Amino acid sequence: MKSGQAEIMETSKGIQKSGLMSRRIAILEFILRIVAFFNTITSTILMATTNETLPFFTQFIRFHAEYSDLPALTFFVVANAVVSGYLILSLPLAFVHIVKSKTQNSRILLIILDVAMLGLVTAGASSAAAIVYLAHKGNNNTNWFSICQQFNSFCERISGSLIGSFIAVVLLILLILLSAIALSRRH
Amino acid sequence: MKNESTIIDVPAESSSAMKGSAPLIGMAKLDHTTSDHSGGYKRGLSIFDFLLRLAAIIAASVAAGTMFTSDETLPFFTQFLQFEAGYDDLPTFQFFVIAMSMISGYLLLSLPFSVVTIVRPLAVAPRLLLLVLDTAAMAFNMAAASSAAAIAYLAHNGNQNTNWLPICQQFGDFCQKTSGAVVSSFVSVVFFIILVVISGVALKRH
Repeated sequence: MKSGQAEIMETSKGIQKSGLMSRRIAILEFILRIVAFFNTITSTILMATTNETLPFFTQFIRFHAEYSDLPALTFFVVANAVVSGYLILSLPLAFVHIVKSKTQNSRILLIILDVAMLGLVTAGASSAAAIVYLAHKGNNNTNWFSICQQFNSFCERISGSLIGSFIAVVLLILLILLSAIALSRRH
Repeated sequence: MKNESTIIDVPAESSSAMKGSAPLIGMAKLDHTTSDHSGGYKRGLSIFDFLLRLAAIIAASVAAGTMFTSDETLPFFTQFLQFEAGYDDLPTFQFFVIAMSMISGYLLLSLPFSVVTIVRPLAVAPRLLLLVLDTAAMAFNMAAASSAAAIAYLAHNGNQNTNWLPICQQFGDFCQKTSGAVVSSFVSVVFFIILVVISGVALKRH
C-alpha cells in the first residue's frame, strides 16, 4: 500500500513536470510569433516606402523608381502584409495555449495555418529575391540591364527589406516544429 | 512465494489491496483497445502519406527534367544577337534545377521513414522527424518555384519601367517548357503542404 501511494505521488510529479515543459514550449511559441510579426511588418514597411527620383531627366528614359514598378515587389508587400496580419491575429490563440492544457485541436488548426502562411511568405520573399538579384546583376543573355547602377538607394532598400522576410521564414519553420512537439506530448 | 519482483509491488496480503489492483487491470485493457483503434486510422494516414510522397517525387523530378531540357535554338542567326536559350542563361533557373533535384533526392530518401510510420503507426519520433524535414523541404521547394515563376513572368511580359524586354516573343518553346516546369513545381509544393498536415494530424495523441 505504501509503495502504491509512493507511485501515485511520483506519477503526479511527472505530470506536473511535463505540464511545465508544455507551458515553456507555449511561451517560446508566443515570443517567436511576436518576433516574426516584427520582422514581417518591418519588411512590408521598408519595401512599401521605396521611392527614388534621380535629379536629372531626359525625354525618353524614366528616372523614378518605386516598388510598384515591379510586380514581384508588389506581391512581396502584399504577402508580407497578409502574414504579419495573420501573426498578430494568432497571438491570442497562442496565449490561450499557454494557459489551457488540452489544446490539441487548436494546435492542429494553428499548424495548418502556419504552413499556409509559410508558403505565402516564402513565395513573396523568393520572387522578390529573384527580381532583386536581376536588378543587381542584370542578364547579358536576355539583354536585361541592371537598374541598380542608376538607382542606388532604391536597390539598397529593396535588398535590405528581404532580410526581415527570410528571418520570418526561419521563425515560421521553428513555430511549426514547436507546435508539432507540443502536439506529440502526452499533455 | 508472496512477493515476486514485479513492477507494481503491492503486498497481496490485505484484501483491500487485492480489491485495489483489480480496476487497474481493467483500465489497462481499456487502454490497449483505445491505442489499437487510433493505430488503425494512423496507419491509414501513413499509407496516404507514402502515396503522396511517390506523387511528389514524380512532380519534382518532372519539374527538374523539363527545366533541364528546355534548350531552344532559333533557326536563323545574325552577327550580334544570341539565338539560343537554355536554363543556364538565367541563374534563377539554374537554382531551380538544382533545388528540384535536391527535393526529389530528399523525397526518395524519406520513403523508408514513411514505411516505418506505416509499420509502427504509434511511434512519434519518425513522424516528428518527417514533419520537420518536410516543412523545411516545402519552404525550399516554394523558394525555387516562386523565384522561377517571377523570372518566367518577366520573360512573358517584360517590364516597361526597367526596359526589360519579354524574351518569350522570340523563344516560344523555351518559355512554354519553363512555365510547365514551374507549374509542376507548384504542384509538388501542394503535395508537401498536405504531407505536413497529415503528419501533424497523425501526431495527435489521444
